[in-house]
Amino acid sequence: MALAKDIYQQLEAVVGPENISGSSAVLWSYMYQPFGNIKGVWAEIMPEAVLLPKSTEEVVAVAKICNRHHIVFKAMSTGWGIHNLPGVKGAIVLDLRRMNRILEIDEKNMFAVVEPSVICMQLQVETLRKGLNCHIIGAGSNTSVLASATSVVGYGPDGLSMGFSGRNLLGVEWVLPTGEVLKLGSLGSGDGWFCGDGPGPSLRGILRGWEGAWGGLGVITKCAVKLFHWNGPAELEMKNAQPNYTIKEPLKYFRASLFNFPSLEKLGEAAYKLGESEVGYFISRLSPAFVGLQMAGGMNFVRLWESGMPQQMLKYAFLFVIFANSEGEFAYQQKVLEKILEETGGEASPLAETEEMQGLTATSVIKVDAVTRSCFRSAGGFNTSFGAMDTIDMAMNQVRAGTVLKNQYIQKGVLMEDGGDNSATLVFDQGHLAYTEVLLMYDNHDEKSTAGAMAYLADSNQACLKQALGTPIFQLSQVGTGKHGLFSPACFHYDKWQKEIKKAFDPNNTGDPTAYTEPEHKK
Amino acid sequence: MLLDLNDYRNDMKRCARCSICKWPPLAQMKSWRFSQNCPAISRFNFHAYSGGGRMALGLALAEGKLDETDEELSNIVYRCTACGACDSSCKYNSELEVLWPIYATRARLVGAGCFREEHGPIIESLRREDNPLMKSKSERGRWAEGLDVKDLSKGGQAEVIYHAGCLYSFDPELSKVARETVTLLRSAGVEVGIRGAQESCCGSMAFQLGFQGEFIKFAESNIDDWNALGAKKVVTSCACGFGIMKAVYPLLGKKMKFEVVHISQYLDELIREGKLRLSKKIPLRVTYHDPCNLGRKSEEYVPWKGTEKKVLGQLIVREPEKTVHRGWEGVYDPPRDVIRAVPGIKFVEMERIREYAWCCGAGGGVKTTMDDFALWTAGERIAEAQSVGAEAIVTACSWCERNLKDAAAAQGKKMQVLDIVELVKQAR
Ligand SMILES: Cc1cc2nc3c(=O)[nH]c(=O)nc-3n(C[C@H](O)[C@H](O)[C@H](O)COP(=O)(O)OP(=O)(O)OC[C@H]3O[C@@H](n4cnc5c(N)ncnc54)[C@H](O)[C@@H]3O)c2cc1C
Ligand code: SF4
Ligand code: SF4
Repeated sequence: MALAKDIYQQLEAVVGPENISGSSAVLWSYMYQPFGNIKGVWAEIMPEAVLLPKSTEEVVAVAKICNRHHIVFKAMSTGWGIHNLPGVKGAIVLDLRRMNRILEIDEKNMFAVVEPSVICMQLQVETLRKGLNCHIIGAGSNTSVLASATSVVGYGPDGLSMGFSGRNLLGVEWVLPTGEVLKLGSLGSGDGWFCGDGPGPSLRGILRGWEGAWGGLGVITKCAVKLFHWNGPAELEMKNAQPNYTIKEPLKYFRASLFNFPSLEKLGEAAYKLGESEVGYFISRLSPAFVGLQMAGGMNFVRLWESGMPQQMLKYAFLFVIFANSEGEFAYQQKVLEKILEETGGEASPLAETEEMQGLTATSVIKVDAVTRSCFRSAGGFNTSFGAMDTIDMAMNQVRAGTVLKNQYIQKGVLMEDGGDNSATLVFDQGHLAYTEVLLMYDNHDEKSTAGAMAYLADSNQACLKQALGTPIFQLSQVGTGKHGLFSPACFHYDKWQKEIKKAFDPNNTGDPTAYTEPEHKK
Repeated sequence: MLLDLNDYRNDMKRCARCSICKWPPLAQMKSWRFSQNCPAISRFNFHAYSGGGRMALGLALAEGKLDETDEELSNIVYRCTACGACDSSCKYNSELEVLWPIYATRARLVGAGCFREEHGPIIESLRREDNPLMKSKSERGRWAEGLDVKDLSKGGQAEVIYHAGCLYSFDPELSKVARETVTLLRSAGVEVGIRGAQESCCGSMAFQLGFQGEFIKFAESNIDDWNALGAKKVVTSCACGFGIMKAVYPLLGKKMKFEVVHISQYLDELIREGKLRLSKKIPLRVTYHDPCNLGRKSEEYVPWKGTEKKVLGQLIVREPEKTVHRGWEGVYDPPRDVIRAVPGIKFVEMERIREYAWCCGAGGGVKTTMDDFALWTAGERIAEAQSVGAEAIVTACSWCERNLKDAAAAQGKKMQVLDIVELVKQAR
């Protein structure tokens, strides 16, 4: 079903002929979405057109046209993943690439106002100059600041010091699926961007809840995010160290260490204590395979893996980074750390001690620039399992359950052998919250491997239900209705509320419901 | 054939769609203003215009989802300067080829007879006149009239042959660079010869537009001629020529009995050896623009041929292992060293340099067929040079020079554009 000519013309009149396309060449380029795809790399449903709006006014006008003509639309910022495409026929995509400005960096009140397609690295390079830093999600600094703050998940390894995207969200400008503009937080009462919860409407829970509406509730056109103190240089100069770029000069009061613990329990205990002591810039429990894949690819990884070195050295390990403001603070944090290690039996691994590793680690934890290498280059296909945001203990339970289950599929030969435990655990909010993902690599062009990966994901959902391991936040083969159908009955029928929200905010169901939820009346 | 889209299927189908190819390597980004690396996506915005988008289009074409006759496909395919910035950025995190599938997509369209109207005269000119500029080949050697240099078209041999390239030969404003090059080499005691009217195009334009048959003819005949003329060194001031001779000529399997040298390397060597002395002060604040073909695209390309196998269950490894071309081995330091050797000069770097330099906009046939896109791209570079307070942009490629000069004039920008040879000449 192609868009009717008159509708196309109405849309074209809004964005201009250069900024709309229904050509098959353009559309096929958008159809390529390997991440989250349950089969291969191509989406199944082709949108009718892609539009490139430039302003809130244009988004409003497009939304109104869509409402008049019952056309489903979906926004994307950088568009990484199948969840960026509408899952229904006859829909259009709003690629927000041209809405790319950093509108304000308020140094005094420590926030920035951004449009959707500003990526984390663009914001970071501008904020560092002003002595401020921004939270970057684990997916990498190539992702949109706004998308994770307003619309999808938002955890990152710097969570220990810079929180979670959803919590860092302040004022918001939101074009509802109907085309009305809603301003949230202090912005809604005309008081600027500084607060997400008023004076003015506090609707963060409605806008994104815990994990976001995945583009199913209209378009967020601007938002403010919290910034954090940065004590490093205004610009981080890099040097080339094939195949990496690494920080040229060692950072002052910076130290990255890899610690090994006698057990997962002890590791968890240390993470709690560190969180409660409010020290550290970055913490992540890293499995041997995760570290190995960061360090090497292809045969280099095979050699490393087969040497057994990472498995032996990093069985229960975490990476902990101190980045202090002064010599005194550095010494204090170091002392706290030593005490906690003493209490929990943690031992420093020599792996992180070299100057080269300090530089590499500093680059990757600050710039978050090397994620795709560990996810996609091994087997092509990549996905993630488990991952309810909960306590550190729960995270460790997820790691255990994931390892057992994944090993069964590794035995069948359908997933990449990574010891089963290919995971990263991040800790937020002074240790009160933790997040784990159990990653899986598979060949997304091999039917058997793909089918195996999907079967594993389905089984991991069952494991979450049966072992009370929480709702996987981010399991891409199961976002939207499928996921809610499975987990909602076990979790107080939470999707009833989502449907109410969808119905109230999107009476014509023009916001693509696929990755979010159908309104109740459609049930 | 050199370019077969099917050779790149595995690269294209393993693109992660991460969009990293739309930016300089993330850790090298320095400001919001100059945070783009790809002229095409920056100008046209649809994902299709990026390196990753082109991988998707190439795959769709190879899998028969798209047809070569698709007009919009052709527009997208050629609205790209083939600068390779996407390729360098992608390879920071992967081992995928991005630029060569872009070339191969063009070759696929041409192979299916779907070439663009505006390319007709260029190819015709290449076939008849040995240049893509619609100039008569009889005029090719005119730039050297009156110069004291050995013209090999009249016989003889030379160990050092200077290849001026098409634009330096025919562009009235730029041909002085070719003259100055010869004069400088001679004054440094180099016995240099030129091929005069017999010099022909390096074939770069044909290659970039996807006309691989034409390219091979030029490349083979150049190699044969240089071998026959006894060359030990072929020196060129045209970065496009240099890039193609270094990266692609060796793939033809012909023995090249000579070394290919860019003039910036040669000048650097001569200055170091004390054979060229720079004594005049030039109190100018200058920056340097890395031509793509002298930088990231001049690494010798080693196509991967082998088998893939699975180990550790589903981990895919290649046998033999692949040579990854990140563009880090391009010619970056010699031109900078030459600039620094000029007395009184103040050299400042722009934000996007070396393997992640922003393209001038002229490459891939864009200057010849879509001048507005070329000028827009150059305008971005001039703005970047202005942002670091440069009064002049020094470069080392005729196409970059032409395009930057045109853009500065068209956009009324106060910015001198100097060839590295001109700078050295002024400092003598
Ligand atoms: C390798 C990898 C690792 C990942 N790791 C993490 C991680 O550590 N932490 C984490 O939080 N996430 C992670 N993700 C998920 C990541 O957040 C999403 O993939 C996200 O899509 C990244 O791109 P983006 O932020 O640019 O948003 P996009 O891809 O552009 O969009 C994401 C979603 O939000 C919607 N959306 C985007 N912009 C708007 C808007 N302006 N208005 C309304 N809806 C909008 C889209 O429709 C889409 O559903 C990971 C993904 C990958 C591929
Ligand atoms: S071409 Fe490379 S950098 Fe670009 S989207 Fe694909 S994998 Fe990412
Ligand atoms: S070759 Fe250059 S212009 Fe073409 S897609 Fe890559 S970066 Fe963009």
